[in-house]
Amino acid sequence: MRYSLLVSILVILLIAAAVLSVGIGPLQLSPAQSIAVLLKPIGIQTGTDFTDQQETVVTAIRLPRVLFGMFIGGTLAMCGAAIQGLFRNPLADPALIGISSGAALFTVIMIVIGAALFQTLFNTLGSYVLSIAAFAGAFLTTVLIYKISQTGGKTIVSTMLLAGIAISAMAAAGTGIMTLVADDAQLRTITFWNLGSLGGATWTNVSVLVPLCLVCMTGLPALSKPLNALVLGETNASHLGINVERLKTQVVLLTALGIGVCVSMSGIIGFVGLVTPHIVRKLIGPEHRQVFITSGLLGATLLVFADLVCRTIVAPVEIPIGIATALIGGPFFLYLLLKERKTQIVF
Amino acid sequence: MISATNIWYKSNGTHLLQGIHFDTVPGDVMAVLGSNGAGKTTLLKCLSKELTPEKGEIRFRQKPLQQWKGAELAKHRAVLSQHYQVTLPFTVEQIVMMGRYPHFKNHPLPNDHAIVRESLVFAGIEHLQHRNYLTLSGGEQQRTQIARVLAQLWENNNEGKLLILDEPVSALDIQYQHHIMQLVRKLSLRNFTIIAVLHDLNLALQYCNKALLLKKGAQVAFGHTDIINRDLIKQVYEVESDLVYHAATHKNYIVITA
Repeated sequence: MRYSLLVSILVILLIAAAVLSVGIGPLQLSPAQSIAVLLKPIGIQTGTDFTDQQETVVTAIRLPRVLFGMFIGGTLAMCGAAIQGLFRNPLADPALIGISSGAALFTVIMIVIGAALFQTLFNTLGSYVLSIAAFAGAFLTTVLIYKISQTGGKTIVSTMLLAGIAISAMAAAGTGIMTLVADDAQLRTITFWNLGSLGGATWTNVSVLVPLCLVCMTGLPALSKPLNALVLGETNASHLGINVERLKTQVVLLTALGIGVCVSMSGIIGFVGLVTPHIVRKLIGPEHRQVFITSGLLGATLLVFADLVCRTIVAPVEIPIGIATALIGGPFFLYLLLKERKTQIVF
Repeated sequence: MISATNIWYKSNGTHLLQGIHFDTVPGDVMAVLGSNGAGKTTLLKCLSKELTPEKGEIRFRQKPLQQWKGAELAKHRAVLSQHYQVTLPFTVEQIVMMGRYPHFKNHPLPNDHAIVRESLVFAGIEHLQHRNYLTLSGGEQQRTQIARVLAQLWENNNEGKLLILDEPVSALDIQYQHHIMQLVRKLSLRNFTIIAVLHDLNLALQYCNKALLLKKGAQVAFGHTDIINRDLIKQVYEVESDLVYHAATHKNYIVITA
């Protein structure tokens, strides 16, 4: 498939997902009404009528949630593509190899202990504190997994996945210890973090999420060329004049930032970073710039759709979105493992 | 072109290189010969600036190698390894385009596309252009990598371009070995300088004009390939041999006798 065609299709799908998602819920809007409400702030009148109540629901509740889904989905998908480029392996996923667990553990520690210790910090920085904690957790885990799974410039895939299991287990244990000392409100927050949800979407959180995600989303495509060259191996990439050590640092920092901020806002939403780049590579090949752009668009679309399904399918009960992505992504990962076992390319 | 003066390299207390000297001019094809552990790969790593010698000087285009910046060096020096561990399904054309990475910033220019096409034709793989690299045979993959290093160095005037080949044909069958070596000779006619680690002495005699013979890190001989005789072979490889003249090609061939 041609790249420009795929981009056009994905842009249309993303807009459709956004319009549907702001319209569907206990209070229904037709797509025309949704569009009218969304265009009003930029001064465009479409002539379709809507009530004040409809406008309030969209702007105060549903729009921040759609933006949450877009930026978290897009960032997770792009970070997945970047991590796969760094490990030179299509099976690396931020949640699978423990990066998200590391970020979640640090966030939970910050919620339970940090709130007491750094009261003033919380009051002044608000949501940023959790993002910074999650960033630190994601960064440390990425560096750790990378050091463990690399030897002689090659990734040992089984080591990478097993190390991910070990780190996830340790992070789960750490989170478990935190639940013992947490109060009721903190417990609810911790459960929410472990399952993953877009329920924390407020305009305040959006204003923290979006700028940090944008740093990650614009920074990663700028590394496309060296990431492509890295597929030849570290030494061969350096013969092409690429500073491999600097590239690795940049990828780790940007993905830790992206995953960190997403986890601190929505908890662990797995498999988006695994499934999305895989679909995209099947359609347009592995060139990183194209993979980044289309993964970002597709990840955003998928998460907005998934969230729409999760909050409407058994309404008024809301299924945590992390459960939905795991239900779809888990079997997909098994399928990948079986396929790779046949081709022997990865192991 | 590239020259080495008294190169020493030490690792873990062992001297892997002990006083290596050589020099080359554009169009030279120099074979680096010696048995396993002679220091051939270590020397190539020093020449490609992967390792820094503890003593001695390597000069590339009149400038000490250590003063070259990685990005600038990549425009004039390419390295072909024996193995590539490509794990993502890039096409042949995309792999060859990577050779142009030192030359453009974000997007390839028309000139880069033209050079990629020329390199594909030169390596005889233009029909593989859109194929998935992972599905190619070993020989086709190696020719793709040759096209990539060519694209990296290609200019109208190729004087001052250095191609370093680390056992370029060891993993290939006889037909492809000669394919690749014929490509190497064609490149030397275009004024590329080529340094290659080879295991097959007859390939060295057939395709190279200079030879550097190493044993346990020390230099045994350097000069025109004519200098290779039974005494040198005995000294370097510890085997008995004879040089046999082949009338049709006017060349000597080495026959190992014991």
